[in-house]
Amino acid sequence: MVAVLAVTPVVLFTLLIGLRGVAAMRTTSDFLVASRRVSPLLNSAAVSGEYLSAASFLGVAGLVVKDGVGSMWYPVGFTAGYIAMLVLVAAPMRRSGALTVPDFAEARLASPALRRLAAVVVLVIGGLYLVPQFRTAGLVLSAVSQTPYWVGVVIAGTVVSATLALGGMRAATYVQAFQFFLKLLLFIVPAVWLLAQVNASDREAAMHPLDFTAFTRDTEMTVDVDVTLELVRETTVRAEGGGWTVLPPGELRMSSGGTLVFAEGSAVPDVRGGVTLGGPEWRRPLLDASADGHPLLGTWAVLVATMLGTMGLPHVLMRFHTSPDGRAARRTAAITVGLLSVFYLFPGIYGVLGSVLVPELYLSGATDTVVVALPAQVDDGWPGFLFTTLLTAGAFAAFLATSLGLLLVVSGAIAHDLIPGSLRTLRVTVLVSAAVVVLLALPCVRLDAGVLVTWGFTVAASTFCPLLVLGIWWARLTAAGAVSGVLAGLIASAGSIAMTLFGPPLTGVASILVSQPAPWSVPLAFAVMVLVSLSGRPPAWSRAAMLRLHLDEQHYSAGPRALGQPSHPTGAATRWSTVRRRIRHFVR
Amino acid sequence: MTTPRRGTAIWTHGRQKRVAVMSPQTRLAHSRRRERGRWRPPQLDRHDADRALMLYRRQLRGGAVALGLMLALLVFLPLSFALWPEMDEVRLSGIPVPWLLLAVLPYVVMVVLARWQLRRAERVESRGDR
Repeated sequence: MVAVLAVTPVVLFTLLIGLRGVAAMRTTSDFLVASRRVSPLLNSAAVSGEYLSAASFLGVAGLVVKDGVGSMWYPVGFTAGYIAMLVLVAAPMRRSGALTVPDFAEARLASPALRRLAAVVVLVIGGLYLVPQFRTAGLVLSAVSQTPYWVGVVIAGTVVSATLALGGMRAATYVQAFQFFLKLLLFIVPAVWLLAQVNASDREAAMHPLDFTAFTRDTEMTVDVDVTLELVRETTVRAEGGGWTVLPPGELRMSSGGTLVFAEGSAVPDVRGGVTLGGPEWRRPLLDASADGHPLLGTWAVLVATMLGTMGLPHVLMRFHTSPDGRAARRTAAITVGLLSVFYLFPGIYGVLGSVLVPELYLSGATDTVVVALPAQVDDGWPGFLFTTLLTAGAFAAFLATSLGLLLVVSGAIAHDLIPGSLRTLRVTVLVSAAVVVLLALPCVRLDAGVLVTWGFTVAASTFCPLLVLGIWWARLTAAGAVSGVLAGLIASAGSIAMTLFGPPLTGVASILVSQPAPWSVPLAFAVMVLVSLSGRPPAWSRAAMLRLHLDEQHYSAGPRALGQPSHPTGAATRWSTVRRRIRHFVR
Repeated sequence: MTTPRRGTAIWTHGRQKRVAVMSPQTRLAHSRRRERGRWRPPQLDRHDADRALMLYRRQLRGGAVALGLMLALLVFLPLSFALWPEMDEVRLSGIPVPWLLLAVLPYVVMVVLARWQLRRAERVESRGDR
């Protein structure tokens, strides 16, 4: 019921806007970047809407419950990425006139090989980022209703690909700008309501967390994914419909769909080697997810990955090309910092309240559903139902918006860079990519959205970040240097991720450096790129190719055609007055 | 550069050139497809090159300051949490101070920094006008 009420309006609205976009769309460029006529305010709302994925809407609060207060460093890194974008990338990238990162790679360095390599990297990042979106869609739908996990995944895939194939990016711009404000509303209003509803003792408990070692009330736990609990002492439990029984210490296996009630006062079972909910490590404002005793390194590793990775996220970079010129792209990045800052003030509230009100999610491992599970705990009447519905709608909007942009960029990489083709190829590619992601998401239910997304950031930080930063700010970069640097970064980061997934379990510093490779893989990629470039000779035009990116559009005399991109001064000029008026209060 | 208006005839080299009627967006996309594979080395005339070099240097210098401030926050805030764990016990109206520092302070700093960097970067470009 909740699922239907929440998902239907979001889906209908998305499709409606998608269909309205069709009339205005004619060519591949229209489809990909809405023909570059989007104002900074609208565009930054769309950037934020696209960026605030399921990982932000649900994942951060879930990680707070699971790994502790230090998880609030994730959104700090997510936002800091836009500062880096604003300083280093936004305006020059837009001025390059390229449509995608692979386009940029070829335009700046004239290397078709680099173009194809960049397209492959886009596929890797897109996959790592899309899978958790689809997975979380399935998880949330199965948590708020009795839908099986795979139904939610398939619904998400169908809606996203249909919208994109019908409307393209022009539609996506409006969909995402709208969805940003929708998400903001659907996130803030329930948070304020929750704070007002929570009784004083729970609020006190949230601010003074204690080790979660004994149940403070009869606690019902429903398992969506198979889980094994380690009972440390004799535990009193009640199965559905049965009476109380006492279980001896030892392993307790629960299969998906099972429900168990733990009696008040009985000991909390151990889950895994992680941080104890509410314990001293949990309370610290640093990230020590696997309780390895290196919280500072863990925190910095996440910050490096998220901050530098944002700069290299292909779907976000592409958004900057919908700005009319470099100045507007820069303003878009700056406004985005403000919009994200407002949103990210709130996930911590959900996380801290969730640690007190729904600690059973910590046991069942479904911490990503903490946001939607909270209202029912606070109020079991219609207000609780209403806010569960609103939050589910917001969460679904979150993965719809992000998946739209990501699918677009993935199919763009295939149809535009790997196999150049027409509009129809692009549409077919969208459908095929969505189907593949759905299939990949089905077995991934156990992996946290926040962790998977951070891997996407890590790959982006180790490949596109050095390529863009050096491409824009260093004239001596050569094509050979760029190719070897991107390859080194890709192999290092993707290899580490593969080792975390399939390799033997590690402990200590090694565990952090393998599961969070950004602190070494990013410098490695930079170093390889610089060293290989220095050992070769850049072509004679390389200085002009770099300087061109820093020249503001109003002052062109040779014209930006130099890189194969026609300029469109009319668009910039007519839009400018409105743009200026709208964001004057922010800038002045 | 002149952009032909919709349906306007343009005279070049003394004879009339036919221009297809299409929206600027469509023309843009079409020309892109034609130009694919015809990559030419980028060229800047002297005046543009001088201006671009001036902008590049100033943006690099200012940008380094903004980025340095950002990095300082991300390095020293976790470091101070690690070095002074006793701060965890300090509370402001019931909320542990480090939680507040983590959940609010970085965003305030980043918004101010974004605003400052944007104004600086735009000033560099508009001052270069004259």
